[in-house]
Amino acid sequence: MKNRRLFALALAIVAVVLNGCGKSAPVLHIYIWDAYLPPAVVDQFTKRTGISVTIDHYGSNEELMAKLASGVTSYDLCVPSDYVVQPLIQQKLLHGLDHARLPHVSNLTPRFVNQAFDPGNQYTMPYLWGTTGLAYNKKLVNPAPDSWNVLFDPAYKGKILMLDDKRECFVVALKLMGKSVNETDPATLRAAADMLKKQHDLVRTYDSTNYDNTLLSKDVVVAHGWNGQMAKVVSDHPDDYAYILPKEGGDIWLDNIAIPAGAQNVDAAYQFIDYVLEGETAAQIVNGVNYASPNEAAKAHIDPKILNDPNIYPPDSALKNWEYLNALGGATDRMISDLWTEIKAK
Amino acid sequence: MKSARSTLLALHALVVYAILYGPILVLMVFSFNKSRQAAVWTGFSFDWYVQLAQDAELVHDAWHSLIVALVATAASTAIGTMAALGLAGNGRELSARAARSTTTALVYLPIVIPEIVMAAALLTFFSITRWHLSLVTVMAAHISFTVSYVAIIVRARLIGFDASLEEAAMDLGANRVQMFFRVKLPIITPAIIAGALLVFTVSIDDYVVTSFVAGTDSTTLPVKIASMVKTGVTPEINAVSTVLLVCTIILVVVSQKLMTGRNAE
Amino acid sequence: MLPTWLVLGGLYLLPLLILAAVSLHQADDFGNAASVENWGQHIRSGEVAANYEKSVRPPFPPIHVRSFVLALVTTAACLLLGYPVAYYIALIAAPARKNLLLALVVIPFWTCFLVRIAAWRLILQDQGLLNTLLLKMHLITEPRQLLDTPLAVLIGLVYGELPYMILPLYASLEKLDRSLLEAAADLGARPAARFLRVTLPLTLPGIVAGSVLVFIPGLGQFIVSDILGGSHSMMIGNVVNDLFSGGKDKPLGAAIALELTIAVLTMLIAWAWYARRRGWEIGL
Repeated sequence: MKNRRLFALALAIVAVVLNGCGKSAPVLHIYIWDAYLPPAVVDQFTKRTGISVTIDHYGSNEELMAKLASGVTSYDLCVPSDYVVQPLIQQKLLHGLDHARLPHVSNLTPRFVNQAFDPGNQYTMPYLWGTTGLAYNKKLVNPAPDSWNVLFDPAYKGKILMLDDKRECFVVALKLMGKSVNETDPATLRAAADMLKKQHDLVRTYDSTNYDNTLLSKDVVVAHGWNGQMAKVVSDHPDDYAYILPKEGGDIWLDNIAIPAGAQNVDAAYQFIDYVLEGETAAQIVNGVNYASPNEAAKAHIDPKILNDPNIYPPDSALKNWEYLNALGGATDRMISDLWTEIKAK
Repeated sequence: MKSARSTLLALHALVVYAILYGPILVLMVFSFNKSRQAAVWTGFSFDWYVQLAQDAELVHDAWHSLIVALVATAASTAIGTMAALGLAGNGRELSARAARSTTTALVYLPIVIPEIVMAAALLTFFSITRWHLSLVTVMAAHISFTVSYVAIIVRARLIGFDASLEEAAMDLGANRVQMFFRVKLPIITPAIIAGALLVFTVSIDDYVVTSFVAGTDSTTLPVKIASMVKTGVTPEINAVSTVLLVCTIILVVVSQKLMTGRNAE
Repeated sequence: MLPTWLVLGGLYLLPLLILAAVSLHQADDFGNAASVENWGQHIRSGEVAANYEKSVRPPFPPIHVRSFVLALVTTAACLLLGYPVAYYIALIAAPARKNLLLALVVIPFWTCFLVRIAAWRLILQDQGLLNTLLLKMHLITEPRQLLDTPLAVLIGLVYGELPYMILPLYASLEKLDRSLLEAAADLGARPAARFLRVTLPLTLPGIVAGSVLVFIPGLGQFIVSDILGGSHSMMIGNVVNDLFSGGKDKPLGAAIALELTIAVLTMLIAWAWYARRRGWEIGL
């Protein structure tokens, strides 16, 4: 037994030593969504600047927030979504951005800068954006839908999929009621929740990961989903599936790159952000990730198939009723959270 | 009669093993699926294996998983066994009984608590002690909640352990160390092995706790895979899982052959 | 003993106490515990127990019941499926093969859970492998909905927890003294009686250990019900995960999780006390 204890101790020491190694060369620690950064882009950065890069992933904004709030992480870059930026700023978890160090800021499409959640882009730079719409099986859903109503149609009972995301589901109900996606009035929210409760029996599953597969397997005929994966389904099987932006409107999501307050290598972080703001780099990212970039200069280098795909780069006219998600404040968040439990509990 | 029962049991075991490996077979077959989406089979292809060979990050994460699992297994097995041995004492004094009750409670605690709570609690702990998150915190976290598995299994094995065997050994002239190594240890070894296998399994597959306490450059395979939410899971994951599986099976079969070969000598 | 206490106490008990403290607060704007100005007022107004009150009112009770029943059935299924396998490996298989067979039980679980569960989705889909097989064998006339049901969650749970039942059972069975069984046979006991009155009692510690390692995590699980369960399988683990990882109301999440913990501990203690009174040796 003593031998075993020594062995365990030895292994632990080795682990600590291994962990401490490699601190001599400058390193950039990136914390980002999976598949949001093509390896070629990272390698090019390292070649150009000599800074090596480590990448870690998170699967949700809340995970990101919990990590940053713990105060014991040392990420240099992260990519929070729109509605998380305000809470992060309020909890002082983001490093301010000095635009003088980001010469390529001018490459950004004006529509995406100076958002309500970060006026003047003092903390974040827009990185990628997309829409939340719905996709349907062209052969099994008639007539072709143009409204969120199809997700509430009893004719498709048990064949409907909704995202497992409280905000996104409330967006659908609120838009059908003609309200804003950032509604905070309790009575309105309760009415929206009632709609969703009635819909519950029609929904086969709430899923934020496999919505494309579930549509393809024909377990459902209409699915709520984000445009990136749905665009791939449609381009792979154009005769069978289509993705639409319902006429009532919905939400545009915007993911942003930022420097966390606990960053160890702020210089490298600035270099990387500016690098990503370059037109060619942004285009490389789009080509690799299949989501739209808020970078205007990138359009010259993006694969025409993607640039001309209306599911990824919808025309401005299609986005008339489409809004960005804002943080709603603790009280509203909790109310939505409670309502969501009631909706899903049955 | 005995052989009829044995055959029936062997058959049952075979069916269970078939159920265990069924989904694994499906997973392996679909690693050759040309389509990006798993739900439809569009043709045979090695594309994902090619992509895997060029995906340094995935291999890196797999390596992290392995190191963490090995360290956690070694440490947990050691500590858990010690805890179980301590619990098996028969001292009737109040202090001994109190010590045993406390240890039992502490040992069962990690099992009793939902994993998500455990994860949040550990993150809180590291946050308060300003212990920077890294692969080491992942290892520490894994050890803390897997010790119980070993302790419970080894303890179950020790129930009914005949103390007279210990006394007999000592009467025959063995000292405590010899008695432990040549009487007690062989008896609990199967339980230790079972416990170690379980800890390794728990650790290599852990997602919840790891995602909460991993720091820079400490992503493990489950965390990486689970984070593929936004852009969807591709068959590349099936490919890496198949490769890992095949390597593991080869490793186990080879080590088994080596061990039986050595025993036969 | 000291190292064990240090590890478990330091890394575990302390933060748990912190969580208990968190559960007594209300959530602030970011979902964390809001600081309390006046504790006297906080306690007198009953706000201190507000989260606990909330957790026993709708919609939570049916979720508690559903989770409990599912965990129970999962444990029973694992026991029924796993005991014969453990018996076979421990007592019937050739000694040289034991470790290999044991390893083969856990090796499937060295692939990542998401891939395994994704494989189950492929098997259980409406047009998946299982339905196709059943149709071909003419056991059903049209595809049944297997996926996105509580049944799928049960299947996924039993599949995932089987090793946690088999391994402790194996450890317990392996030390069974064969001569006791022979003695019983010599005394005229039939195989069923030998099993019920010799084997089963002696392997009770293994059964209890396995059941504990299956039931309790089964109660708090959320990943399987999330991915395989569909819209009618919300479990208490999903609630806790949503409140914690969703980050909107950590104090409520802490309260529910602590309730779960205390309920389980109470069950364990009651069971241990009962067993001790009956003179059973179960290892608790």
